[in-house]
Amino acid sequence: MTIKKHHIEIGKLRHINKVRYFIQVLVLLFILSTPILSLYQSNVAARAIQWMDGNEKLLFGTIDNIVRWFTNNPENDLDIIKGSVWSAQIGAFKMSDPLALLGQFAAEKQFYWPFVATILFPVGLTLLLGRFFCGWICPAYLFYEIGDVFRQLLNRAGTRPRNIKLSLKTKYIVLGLGTLTGIIFGVVVFPMIYPPAIISREWYYLVYLGVFGSGLTLLGVSLLFEMTMSRRAVCRYLCPGGALYSLLGKFRVVRIRRNASACIDCVKCNHVCGLGLEPMSDLTGMECNTCTACIAICPTDALTLRLGWKDDPLKQSKPNPKTLQAIHVILQNHKEMT
Amino acid sequence: MKRRFFIKSITATTTAAMAFPIVAKAVQSKFKFRFVRPPGSLKENDFLARCIRCNKCSESCPNDCIKYMGFENGFTQWGTPYIVPRDQACILCMKCGEACPTGSIQPIKDELSELLSKVKMGKAEVDKDHCLSYQGKTCGVCYRACPFPDIAMTIGFLEQPTVTGECVGCGLCERSCIQLPQAVRILPAHS
Repeated sequence: MTIKKHHIEIGKLRHINKVRYFIQVLVLLFILSTPILSLYQSNVAARAIQWMDGNEKLLFGTIDNIVRWFTNNPENDLDIIKGSVWSAQIGAFKMSDPLALLGQFAAEKQFYWPFVATILFPVGLTLLLGRFFCGWICPAYLFYEIGDVFRQLLNRAGTRPRNIKLSLKTKYIVLGLGTLTGIIFGVVVFPMIYPPAIISREWYYLVYLGVFGSGLTLLGVSLLFEMTMSRRAVCRYLCPGGALYSLLGKFRVVRIRRNASACIDCVKCNHVCGLGLEPMSDLTGMECNTCTACIAICPTDALTLRLGWKDDPLKQSKPNPKTLQAIHVILQNHKEMT
Repeated sequence: MKRRFFIKSITATTTAAMAFPIVAKAVQSKFKFRFVRPPGSLKENDFLARCIRCNKCSESCPNDCIKYMGFENGFTQWGTPYIVPRDQACILCMKCGEACPTGSIQPIKDELSELLSKVKMGKAEVDKDHCLSYQGKTCGVCYRACPFPDIAMTIGFLEQPTVTGECVGCGLCERSCIQLPQAVRILPAHS
């Protein structure tokens, strides 16, 4: 009886992945809506909506109809929702990316305390939950996940995309180089290369100016690179934000745990992991973003979440050297035969 | 091996030494066109170091006057906000300072004394050879546009404008000037 109940509880965990997609889409809607609402505000301020025509009237007239349900003074009242994941404002509550603080501190060599206050909430959550920003909030993660789907389609169509593997530590070098450039030239360089900041900025440019900026090239090239050359390369190997969040989340409390007796060693979890980690070997390390894709795909519900500040690999007996030698011989024979 | 290492390091050092001025020139701040920073901005170098390029100042601007730099003024100014007064001038609503998370645009209260003492975007200059009022045709448009009439700008005979030391450089006079090219210009405070 108890076993059955336990089983149901673990089975529920696989729905977390759907909750994650839901939150990602919500954040994406937030990012997409802020520039449009801001443009609507300035159109209200300019008393321009009643003189509009065509598509413009359709868009801003619809927004006007909806907004007027809630407020009669949208020009000031809509100020409660501004920004993007790089630096957001909801009501009086401001949040910024810790990477922005790092860049600003590197460039200016001093703190501006109201700005430091804006990163406390994200950093606190990161200390508890690890690199959760990547999987749950970041719009670029969603973007590159869609790229991964295209990669699978390519695979099915018969073209086998290459998968160049770099070291997972490359992103720490990118983080260090970015900080160093900031120190030398006295500017914040991260927004130039940080995918979520690029996405929200390009969307802003499209809404306000009707054109894309230079960042779109970077996004497009990285997406093509991921689809054909290296799976999820940006999140795994290059993103400076992911590096910073990994460092902050080193002693996070929520971790993936494998129930070794239920595990059938099918390696699906290792293959599905967007960040190139290995849940099956019990070593997700500090880079896991608790996206729970591995939990959702596990056919035997062997993976769960647990609380703890360290990874807890099961003590495995070392394989017998004679067995290893036998396997080696078998593999050699197999190679010669084929 | 030692000789090869020696030659390699010599080559690398020379290349770096030759490349450095080129890189430095590409990177440094230039002022290829005349613009002002949003009201309450820090001094240019502090501003560049502190601005995190989040685009919130323009999102909060009800007048859509804040634009963003590309690479035209060098790598360091990329992504920073600027205003070209002749295109769209600042109406001193001070919303951008409230929205700025890093204080590169300082929050300033929307009060007369605060505005006059803390905002320093530039200063207006009247071209008397070109201004209609100085040519004998009564105009006075810049005075009507000025947010601080009789404080930042005074008028005399035939509504001839005179800019005082109180001018904050919002650029509304330059935007409203009916002469083409404009007879009053903002000289930016940053460069």
